[in-house]
Amino acid sequence: MRQNQSLTGSIDWPLFFVVLLFMGMGIATVYSTAYNDDHPSLFDFSMVYGKQVMWVGVSLFLGILVFLIDSDIYRKFALPIYGFSIALLVVVLFMPAKNGAHSWLGFGSLGIQPAEFAKIAVAILLARYLSDLNVNQQNIRTVFITNAILLIPMALILLQNDAGTFIVFTAFLFVMYREGITYDPLILGLVNRIPRIRFKQTWLGTHFIPILFVTVFLSISTLLLSKETIEISFMPGTRVGGIWGLIFFLFVFCVLGYALLRLILNKRDRNRALIIAILAFFLSSMICTSVNVGFKSLQHHQKVRIELFLGIIDEELADQAKDGDDYNRNRAIAAVGSGGVSGRGYKNSMLANTRTGHVPESETDFIFCPFAEEWGFIGSVALVGLYIFMMLRIVKIAERQRSRFNRVYAYSVAMILFYHFAVNIGMSIEFAPVIGIPLPLFSYGGSSMMSFSMMLFILLKLDSQRKDVLN
Amino acid sequence: MKYDGRKYVIIAFITLIGVIYAFKLFYMQVIDDSWKLRAQEIAEKRREITPPRAVVFDRNGKKVVENKTYYNLVMCEDEMGEEFDTLGFAKLIGWSKQDVKNRIYNIRIAQDSSWNKQKGERESNYRSYRTYPFLKEMTADEMSTIVPHLERFPGFREEVSSMRNYPYRSAANILGYVAEAGPEDVGPRKFYKNGDLKGRTGLESYYEDYIRGERGIQYIVQDAVNNKVASFENGQYDTTARQADPIHLGLDIELQAYGELLMQNKKGAIVAIEPKTGEILTLVSAPSYDPNYFVGKKNINTYYNQLVGDPNKPLYPRPLASAYMPGSTFKTIQSLIGMQEGVITENTGFPCNKSVVGCHNHGSAQSVTQAVQMSCNPYFYAVTRRIIQQKKSKDINEDAAIGLEKWAEYMHSFGLGVRLPSDLTGISSGVIPDPAYYDKWYGHNNWRFSTIRSISIGQGEVQLTPLQLANVAAIMANRGWYITPHVVKSIGDDGPLERFRKKNYTMVDQKYFDPVVEGMRRCVHEAGGTARLARIPGITVCGKTGTVEDIKLFKSGNKLQRPNHSVFICFAPMDDPKIAVAVFIENAGGGGGTWAAPTASLIVEKYLTGEIKDQAKEKRILDAKLSLWE
Repeated sequence: MRQNQSLTGSIDWPLFFVVLLFMGMGIATVYSTAYNDDHPSLFDFSMVYGKQVMWVGVSLFLGILVFLIDSDIYRKFALPIYGFSIALLVVVLFMPAKNGAHSWLGFGSLGIQPAEFAKIAVAILLARYLSDLNVNQQNIRTVFITNAILLIPMALILLQNDAGTFIVFTAFLFVMYREGITYDPLILGLVNRIPRIRFKQTWLGTHFIPILFVTVFLSISTLLLSKETIEISFMPGTRVGGIWGLIFFLFVFCVLGYALLRLILNKRDRNRALIIAILAFFLSSMICTSVNVGFKSLQHHQKVRIELFLGIIDEELADQAKDGDDYNRNRAIAAVGSGGVSGRGYKNSMLANTRTGHVPESETDFIFCPFAEEWGFIGSVALVGLYIFMMLRIVKIAERQRSRFNRVYAYSVAMILFYHFAVNIGMSIEFAPVIGIPLPLFSYGGSSMMSFSMMLFILLKLDSQRKDVLN
Repeated sequence: MKYDGRKYVIIAFITLIGVIYAFKLFYMQVIDDSWKLRAQEIAEKRREITPPRAVVFDRNGKKVVENKTYYNLVMCEDEMGEEFDTLGFAKLIGWSKQDVKNRIYNIRIAQDSSWNKQKGERESNYRSYRTYPFLKEMTADEMSTIVPHLERFPGFREEVSSMRNYPYRSAANILGYVAEAGPEDVGPRKFYKNGDLKGRTGLESYYEDYIRGERGIQYIVQDAVNNKVASFENGQYDTTARQADPIHLGLDIELQAYGELLMQNKKGAIVAIEPKTGEILTLVSAPSYDPNYFVGKKNINTYYNQLVGDPNKPLYPRPLASAYMPGSTFKTIQSLIGMQEGVITENTGFPCNKSVVGCHNHGSAQSVTQAVQMSCNPYFYAVTRRIIQQKKSKDINEDAAIGLEKWAEYMHSFGLGVRLPSDLTGISSGVIPDPAYYDKWYGHNNWRFSTIRSISIGQGEVQLTPLQLANVAAIMANRGWYITPHVVKSIGDDGPLERFRKKNYTMVDQKYFDPVVEGMRRCVHEAGGTARLARIPGITVCGKTGTVEDIKLFKSGNKLQRPNHSVFICFAPMDDPKIAVAVFIENAGGGGGTWAAPTASLIVEKYLTGEIKDQAKEKRILDAKLSLWE
């Protein structure tokens, strides 16, 4: 069946060049931020920039390997790849902790982070599983398996204490959403047990992503109110936590919603509306309460980070925090903000470099800071634009695939990149809390460089062979 | 496909985030300047350089206050590393290993703690990346044995600091002391930074703005642990620190030291003024202390409590702050006011009528000169009565108020009852009672001269500081004017402050002074004068003794009579006065002529001739232990 095409026959050149461009820009930025007068050579392998050049080289080599291998193996060996990846995630738990996280495997400075590669494995297995499936053939099994594929590595990563990567894995929810995976079977299984109810589908199950957003919204509201207290007007002197106010509001909201629905709906649907209202109230209250309890049981520094992010810390505290708990974020934002229109110029950053060291991790997680400080608004916006271009390009690639496997995989790549991009840059511009995840293809680091380039090269390979696949 | 529409949700979502980020970046980087300022605040620091404080010379060009270089051995815990050779280091500085460990522990816990609101707990201000002094105030000698070996001990290095040094070990009350600026003086917009020295009392405090010099400012780019990375813009905005030019004092430091020596084992004060200029030559507060006691924490820790707890109160600046009854020395002014008011003339005589007020045995004074010479109590009682009760009102009480008002005005013109605007700190105004003062005591219109008669002989409510007494002597020497007494003769080359160049005239005309001055001469040089011990061969001294009773009345009616205070004012030579002196010795016993007069004469002789001819007189004073010394 397979046509004998040249190796790069139908490669997507725009994406390929954007990838190379990011690698080049990344090296240049690492060189600028970590530049040391005693080691001026870019190829000095004792310095991070020399190592980064090496990692890029290794990654490109891996890319060539990927192109030499038939893309069919991912489909065929999806489960073994996934299994191996999970095994690594387990092994890494027994490794000594580095920066408080058991996420490094290897020796000395040459370590890899299995979690980075687990993303690829999950993407492949998810693609494999969904491609075998009839879209309409949704049952409890489907929901359980898709979620299990996702939740097993997530649980292990959580055990590693690597919150950043954990959050990135929720990117797959978008992929599932695109593929129409719903929680409906699960919800129906529960709801239909109630006598006199026979749903064929539920709004909650089909639209779990929008509902997820509501959940997030409720959680943030809960956090915002976590420090507030409310004085009850008919019982002067009694103060209760803000959470009770929120629950009261939800109650009123549900009652009013039900009353409204009653007016519109016919008699038969009124009972359903009542059930929905009661369910909505209890579920949302539960979300709020558990968020509230969970937040209260967090460690102090985690709480402060969240509070800082939400802006519910009072000014005096914020002032105190800017040299304390908020040190990293404050300096990172200052570095970006001080870039101005055209920046301070290459190798001229004042805050975001390892020589002054004001912005910590300026060659890894905070690499956007030196870039933004040196190239200013023009450079930063160009970078943001390039990432957006790359992600939209991948979406475009995804949509032109004939095979569902390829499409699911491509969407996974797009959404993982999106998460990394949004969180990494977001934390330097006051939009996201400080979560240590790298900027794709840009940040210094072997694992992330290799995993992202493999992820993208596999995508390029799959895309170049898309016409071979009959689906 | 069924769910194909959802791709638009994802595309829209990605694009939306991109647009939001672009706008946010535009706002942060282009519109909002606050992050640029914050970045500057983080990275650029003004490093301020404190110059050494100005040195101080006395009137003869002798260095009274200088700066001495000291060395601190500072440590930074983070730089020490894990393999720090504690034992070797302990050996180097001659401590035990445990001592070193304890010291490091103490440094850690000695730092203040501040309230961390986020954590809701107190938190030490100790930071392991900062440097803290490990050994303080070491001399160059002590340091020289340590420094060559410091290379082996990372985290330790020497730091140079400058401290005050007082080579003459005297004049503590004039010079004052410096101490680290308190929290109220330290701040980003204030002159002082943490650990800077600031004058606290005396000269160091009064001329602080000048003595501290001009700060140098260096703009630097800093890294995260406050190490300098580079000069900012090649230092084009930097300014250099400038030490202020030396301060020249009117003080004669050797005379001062001699005065302090004479006053050993006594309580009281000596003040000597050059009458023509108002420059303070000597200002002895006895007992005194070595000003070096207040240099450096080491010394302060050793001596401060000792000085505070001393029952003889060495820290109390007696010549400035202690107001005493002036006794008979006051009579000189009473006679001047009497003449100026026209209630007596130079030749008015009064009988020595001991029925009104006690007196010693002498013939009746026939003139002001004689009255001063014999210090006749009834005479001055009569004079003061005439001053106070001039019959300007029919009501005797009201009349007394009018008279006293005028009298107080005269006194104020002599710098009495007012705070002399000198350049020393801790000056008291003394007491010259005015009508309001007695109204408070006795009620309005409820008192007259007989009620307040003690003031006529410098007892009762009248109180003067030794500085004011010396100023009175200077007024006598100048025959009617004074320049506010001050210690600083010249700030750099600029001369004294403006107000120390102006003559202050008293309300008494010059012509009335001669008979009083003649009386003062006779006090010393004529037979029957009270101050014969003040004679100096070859020099005409004019003086007036005072003997002040020290009686304490208790509520129970008991009376505690302690030995008399001995007071003496004088100036010399009579015709071209070079020095005016006031000596006050607390509870010396005897009269003003017994102790204060010879002490003053020694000061005068030392100042005018540079040596003491009468060794026995000097020895008698040096050996005397007076003033209920504890």
